[in-house]
Amino acid sequence: MKFTVPKTARPWVAVVAVALLAAPVSAQPKSDINDATEKAMKAASAKVAPAIVKIETAGGTETITGAPKGKGPPGAGIRKGVGPTTGLVVSADGYIISSAFNFANKPTDIFVTVPGRPQRLVAKIVANDQTRMLTLLKIDAKDLPVPETFPKKDVEVGQWGLTLGRTLDNNVDHPPSMSVGIVSATNRIWGKAIQTDAKTSPVNYGGSLVSIDGRVYGVVVPASTRAEGETAGVDVYDGGIGFAVPLEDILASLPRLKEGKDLRRGLLGVSPQGTDVYNAPPVIGAIQPDSAAARAGLQVGDKIIEINGKPVSNYSTLQHIMGPLYESDELAIKVMRGDKEMAFKGVKLLGTTTAYVAAYFGVLPMRDDPGPGVEVRFVYPKSPAEAAGIKVGDRIMKFGAATLPTPPAIQNRAALIAAIQRLAPGTEVKVEVKRKDGGKVETVQAKLVPAPDDVAEKLPLPSSAGKALEGVKPKDPPKKDPFPKDPFPPKGPLNDCDAQDEKKDDKKEEPKKDKPKIETGLMTRANEALGREYWVYVPDNYDPNVSHGLIVWFHQAGQGGKDSEKMSKTFEDFAADNHFIIMGPKAGAEAGWRPTETEVVVQDVKAVIAQYTIDRTRVVAHGQANGGEMAFYVGFNARDVFRGVCTTGATLGNPPKENIANQPLAFFISGGDKDPLIKDIVESKNLLIEKRFPVIFREMKESGKEYFDQKTFTDFLNWADSLDRI
Amino acid sequence: MPTLKRSLAKIPTKQHHDTPTMFTRYSALLAVVAAVATPALAPAADPFADTVENANKKLVKVFGAGGFSRLNNYGTGILISSDGHILTVASQLLDTSELVVHMYDGQRLKAQVIVTEPLLDVALIKIRLDGKKIDEDNGLNLEKGKGYFDFDAAVKRGPAAPGDWVLAMTNTFEIALRDEPLSVQRGVVSAYTKMAGRRGIFEFPYSGDVYVVDAITNNPGAAGGALLDKKGELLGIIGRELKNSLTETWMNYAIPIVGKTEFKEKVTVKDKDGKDVEEEKTSTVSVPEFVTLALQGKYKQKKREEFIGQGGYHGIIFVPNILERTPAYVEDVAPGSPADKAGLRPDDLVSFIDGEPIISIKALDEYMKKHTRPGMKVRFEVRRGEALQTVEVELGQHPPKPKLPLPPPPKP
Repeated sequence: MKFTVPKTARPWVAVVAVALLAAPVSAQPKSDINDATEKAMKAASAKVAPAIVKIETAGGTETITGAPKGKGPPGAGIRKGVGPTTGLVVSADGYIISSAFNFANKPTDIFVTVPGRPQRLVAKIVANDQTRMLTLLKIDAKDLPVPETFPKKDVEVGQWGLTLGRTLDNNVDHPPSMSVGIVSATNRIWGKAIQTDAKTSPVNYGGSLVSIDGRVYGVVVPASTRAEGETAGVDVYDGGIGFAVPLEDILASLPRLKEGKDLRRGLLGVSPQGTDVYNAPPVIGAIQPDSAAARAGLQVGDKIIEINGKPVSNYSTLQHIMGPLYESDELAIKVMRGDKEMAFKGVKLLGTTTAYVAAYFGVLPMRDDPGPGVEVRFVYPKSPAEAAGIKVGDRIMKFGAATLPTPPAIQNRAALIAAIQRLAPGTEVKVEVKRKDGGKVETVQAKLVPAPDDVAEKLPLPSSAGKALEGVKPKDPPKKDPFPKDPFPPKGPLNDCDAQDEKKDDKKEEPKKDKPKIETGLMTRANEALGREYWVYVPDNYDPNVSHGLIVWFHQAGQGGKDSEKMSKTFEDFAADNHFIIMGPKAGAEAGWRPTETEVVVQDVKAVIAQYTIDRTRVVAHGQANGGEMAFYVGFNARDVFRGVCTTGATLGNPPKENIANQPLAFFISGGDKDPLIKDIVESKNLLIEKRFPVIFREMKESGKEYFDQKTFTDFLNWADSLDRI
Repeated sequence: MPTLKRSLAKIPTKQHHDTPTMFTRYSALLAVVAAVATPALAPAADPFADTVENANKKLVKVFGAGGFSRLNNYGTGILISSDGHILTVASQLLDTSELVVHMYDGQRLKAQVIVTEPLLDVALIKIRLDGKKIDEDNGLNLEKGKGYFDFDAAVKRGPAAPGDWVLAMTNTFEIALRDEPLSVQRGVVSAYTKMAGRRGIFEFPYSGDVYVVDAITNNPGAAGGALLDKKGELLGIIGRELKNSLTETWMNYAIPIVGKTEFKEKVTVKDKDGKDVEEEKTSTVSVPEFVTLALQGKYKQKKREEFIGQGGYHGIIFVPNILERTPAYVEDVAPGSPADKAGLRPDDLVSFIDGEPIISIKALDEYMKKHTRPGMKVRFEVRRGEALQTVEVELGQHPPKPKLPLPPPPKP
């Protein structure tokens, strides 16, 4: 026989039991549930109250700006109240933990009042836990009461939770303010917090979430799954969604905090290969340079199977394991490399990552050429490629780090892009080229550099070999190809390729079939399921054997559908010459785009991609003003789709995300010098540059909120046509 | 229902405040359901049901001025006499001669304002029959305790404490129509403390004790509702929608039945030569005093008059006030000034005066003007190095402003 404790024991049954124990007088026939719970709550509060201190500050700012670290475009900001805040004793020798929110306005002086002690004490900030938004204070005091910790393993959803704070009542010898609720969830905010429906707000941030028997679950902090920083989550205060960092975790990291070093999140430095983080196995798609993963010797293509003894079946599991970890925490990682299992021990997490910088060789590849090799369409002046003597028409056959005995063979453009994504600027590479004239094979050496922020003035045409559909061989995929296949195989009916007067490859094979009718020109489409409309402009010379770039135009507020004629006219010549399709989704509201519309817009974009032969390296989100902000947002939130974002008169709404090797994103940003927003536009640009994204910036002279001038427009077109430069 | 729509339209501007209302209301219901579901533990079938039903008969829905912009034209009121005296909040709602109340049974009656006291933010109104004068018998004859709250008994009972269960009954968002019972919210007394609220940019006049409630009670239409203890006894009057200046968050509060507040008024006294002089006096006004006198028709609205003077003189010269909240660091003290005599020194940081935190030079100036006068002794807590020192400063008269230098005399 084995007895098990019922997991679902009604929490308030326990409450009553506790209440009856705490107050035997009430255990009379007349007592009711309300008396019992009331007594239990007060007893719990009284038990913890001596450890809940009052914090007062002087100086600092009136408002806390929304963006983290005071960067980014100015947000609404949060007004910091003038009242006291709350802290919790965590060590008898004068250590107090509190919420970082209470110090987000950077006060110059901090004072702490301990219950039962009349004297206010000067407090110093020892360190911050940047992952859990906590601040450790030190006061000169001894024999402080440390509260009892509620063990994490015993926390269950439904247990009573009281949040206690010191803001409302100036007298610390009075009971702290109380709000009543339950534990709503455990392991929230990536395993870092307990959730409660008791009210949490600046009234009790830094105070404690307490069980009905007077033990401390954790310290109340504002938190959000969508944002980071001291103020994240404050906007939903008192909303029934509150968080507390488990006291057990705080005590565990206390020795490190006491050393006075800020605790930062531990970063491994890997990004997933695909976008499905739930069903796909966790295969490493990219590794940040000089990251923990890079130092440990993990490689792109490794499949993570286990971390610290816990099996990892998808990328989401990995994120949950990584969520609570700190800088310098050590991991034991097991991966599958090919069919070999490899173990990495003592992988020490880092607190920062070096931003990924795309390496640049300086050629523009000929598109839609199944290979083998990649024909050079254009050589950028002053590039490593030019210095190495690469000429237009040469065919790059092999490409790789110079340290390898022989550079690996390159099948096609996608393979060359994948190869260079794994190399950092500064790497010496060996390149085997087959010369245009005479077909002589030579190996040259070059040193990769960071991508420059310039645009070629004129790019040569044609840009396509017109064999987009040849590369696809669905029935016979190469089995031991060292490089991933083109992750974006073009779709579409088989068709003739354009007979253009260019050097064609030897294995020319032109299947002749009946030409199915393809719609071209300006068309209006409807997403029937959602009742939304978008327009798409396909140039009249559309040929499915030539992959097309896609510019997704985000209109200005109120212009939805009205500007389709104008925009398609604007892009008409470019679309035909350089093979681009233009589309314009329509915002649901007259007032403009909302971030929540991203998903439907991406659906529309994917519908167009499925119908036409689209070059996935040249999908651009383009917009003006409010449309530009949407372009930024969609670009960052649908990184599997977009490779470029081009805006005019728009600022970044949110801080930019990281630059990732296998989901590159390039930016073309412009604004008029008379636009009142120009300062913020420049600031947005700087933030992107800081993250090492390739950014082209154009400030248009004598311009306010107009669309591009002629010069900027030309630059934009050349930028869009060179998104696949290597 | 145009009024309801209007109040709902307001939600986006105050989302974080209004939305939780629904949660709280439902959780209150759930709590009641939970109690019903466990007959073994609860002696009564439902300890709140009877309480709520009884209390509802002693509360009314009030309709008055408003209904435009963001002002709602509905509120709540508390019956406190057998002939229909109603205690409510002194809001814009009462600025009309067409005041109407709905009794618990749906009776629609006219009402008239007897007197208001903005200092306490309370008002007494009375039900008046059509064609009759306000002091004529309206024939209501409500029963004490059943038809109206026994106000005196409530005062005698004294205030509730943090952690006590409370019920709020209001017509929040005008959900209860005509004879429908008022909406009930359950919570605890979060704190019993001094009011530190502000409405817009104006400081709220009431600065006495207040119940802060752990339920989202203060929403449109709730003002004037009742805060009750778990037995249904009257504790306080649910207040307005205010922001707490301590935290910059929306506040859920009720003015206690025993609430009182201090105010400054001008009195005329004779000086030692027998001449009439005006002097400032700090007086107190309480809710019980208001109610007792107002019921007798004797209450007169207090005249609040602030002397906006310079306050007492300390003689501290502060560091340049260049930041939003420049801490009150002492740069120097005027020789012979009260601060000098008290031993304040350069680099001291004035942190608290009489226990009140001083977050900036601006806050210190405001405190001096508002709370001090020449001759007063105040306790400064100053940070000197790593410790706080307490010094007593006897404030003096501000020295006369130095006269502007005279223009040089014209040359002959």
